[in-house]
Amino acid sequence: MAENRNRNFYRLPYISNTDIRQIHDASMDLLENMGVAFHSADACELFKRNGFKVEGQTVFFKEAAVSAALENAPSHFALRARNADHSVDIGQDALTVAPGYGAPYLITGDGERRKGTLDDYQNFCKLIQGSASIDINGYLMIEPTDVPARTAHLDMMLANIVLCDKPFMSSAASGACAEDCIKMLTILFGELGEIGKSPVSMALINARSPMQYAKEMAEALMVYAKYRQVCLVSSLIMAASSGPVNLPGVIALQNAEVLAGITLAQTVNPGTPVIYGGASAPIDMRTGGVAIGAPEVSQIIAATAQLARYYRLPSRSGGCLTDANFPDAQAGAESAISLHSAVMAGINFILHACGILGSYLAMSYEKFVIDEEIIKIVKKSARPLDITPETIDLQTIKDVGIGGHYITQPKTRQNCWTEFYMPTLMRRRSYTKWYGMGKNRIDETARKEVRRRLKEVDSMPIDTAIASELRQYVNQAKANHT
Amino acid sequence: MTIYQTIAQALAEGDQVKVEQSVTQALADGCQAKAILDEGLMGGMEIIGGLMEREEILIPEVIGAAEIMADVIEKKLKSNLMDEDMNPYGKAVFATVRGDIHDIGKNLVIMMLESAGFELIDLGVDVAEDRIVDAVKEHKPKLLCLSALLTTTMPMIETTIQATAESGIRDRVKILIGGAPLDEAFAREVGADGYALDASHAIKVAKDLVMASEAD
Repeated sequence: MAENRNRNFYRLPYISNTDIRQIHDASMDLLENMGVAFHSADACELFKRNGFKVEGQTVFFKEAAVSAALENAPSHFALRARNADHSVDIGQDALTVAPGYGAPYLITGDGERRKGTLDDYQNFCKLIQGSASIDINGYLMIEPTDVPARTAHLDMMLANIVLCDKPFMSSAASGACAEDCIKMLTILFGELGEIGKSPVSMALINARSPMQYAKEMAEALMVYAKYRQVCLVSSLIMAASSGPVNLPGVIALQNAEVLAGITLAQTVNPGTPVIYGGASAPIDMRTGGVAIGAPEVSQIIAATAQLARYYRLPSRSGGCLTDANFPDAQAGAESAISLHSAVMAGINFILHACGILGSYLAMSYEKFVIDEEIIKIVKKSARPLDITPETIDLQTIKDVGIGGHYITQPKTRQNCWTEFYMPTLMRRRSYTKWYGMGKNRIDETARKEVRRRLKEVDSMPIDTAIASELRQYVNQAKANHT
Repeated sequence: MTIYQTIAQALAEGDQVKVEQSVTQALADGCQAKAILDEGLMGGMEIIGGLMEREEILIPEVIGAAEIMADVIEKKLKSNLMDEDMNPYGKAVFATVRGDIHDIGKNLVIMMLESAGFELIDLGVDVAEDRIVDAVKEHKPKLLCLSALLTTTMPMIETTIQATAESGIRDRVKILIGGAPLDEAFAREVGADGYALDASHAIKVAKDLVMASEAD
């Protein structure tokens, strides 16, 4: 892995090894005795061929089989971008940050909610390209409801490839969608063998809690595993609804679901890079809806990170999560707390790090740029201090003496732009100046910043022959799908 | 670019070597020391003023440029300059008022005003009003700058201003006040001439007050 690319952060342990072992044993009990339903004949058939007990659609996992699968999964890998400068490391001590995923709505700067469009999707690709905070482009940042759902994955993939030269995620909507994505990745990266050498994309595979995998998800996973692309296997248990009300039980259930998915990936193609995901959250007992800004999410994130380390796998959680419907103080507080929890817990891959509002239901441009700043702040706060005689520099302290002023020191001047984090949105102007400049709230400042950013970004240069081949593929595939 | 513009630009960029070389060059070319100061070095400080307005320069850099300027004046120009050339805005007397010992902010403002062309007389902290009155009588500054950090010592600003009035010197000097808990309204209330909300704003207000006093 490249040195210091996205490495070198402080991480905290949270649960004792004994307790981790308790969770593990509970999950193994569930996998062996209750089993996981895979609603895919292909998946069940594959499990059967590989010696797993399968009853109907329920697959049972012995600990030895799970351990053997985990042995094959790499502890870390590089995810390649079409621009090699933007390739990232995933796993070990690396931290990789990705935008919001799956929102059907956009909430405007005026607090109005409307359905997402392809234009919104493309805007988010552009913001991600220009982002100093976001390491990789996502997929389905917002649902483009103005294009046919059956072929929307083609439009989103094309936007991901053409508008942004960072690594990106691909569609896991079905096996067929996954095949389309693999074909487009092959056009982008050359022949088919090339994308298998080291992964170029990843798909978010979600369990359907409790203890099931939908046909579409299982089959998309099988396609990505076949071509050795990253399978981000995750579970979003709604505690007290699709999982127990007691969190240790939720964590054991989540662990069982995720390990079942990872075992499928390794059974398809041993050595397939996977990420151990966990996105579980409680429900709000007043509404029954998921509460992603809840403090329990931080507890689950910490356990997820530690379990992933226990299995020597890269981990994934959410990032700037909130249940607020506007980039207000609630959104800022909830987002900062959950992101900070994820970073400090040692999560390697943070999805939903930017833009999410309203319990995953909406994206917001304004929230996106505010979250970018939160990411930078949290990353800085997690950087270890480099403590040496030079960085303590007793001599300067003695030279300045009692009651002296450090701002005139040449060292202060030399480091004034770089030593402290320099905020872009969260300014520290005096009351008078702030008042005089129009008393802007941060969402209002963010609104201006979004306008500036979208004006500034142009599409990234891409080989015209490749771009035209991709467009041709998209048009052809759209015709075939209708 | 004229030689003065070169000096101004180099100063704004904090490039000491280039400032010194350009000033030496200008002197060799027969430029007047006063012109080098006014158009070159003060021109550089004007550029810095603009950068400060746009929040594109940081306080340590402004102070660094001021130090370069002071150094170059000392080494290369001083012998050919009159006192009033060096400090075109004249004198300013500074004090943290009685009962208050905070001076980090006050000292920062002092550095900024020195860089802008004021000659500074700093009376220090916890300065009683009679000492301030005496200093104004002695130094005849155009500007008196009073600082207080605490809400409990804010009233001493008013007491000090009243003391200048009682001793008959209030109209000889413009009074500029500053400190974290103060604001424009307080300045009006206590009869100060101006309020500066931070170190960079202080330069602008101080210059405006001196210009206004010269117009009086």
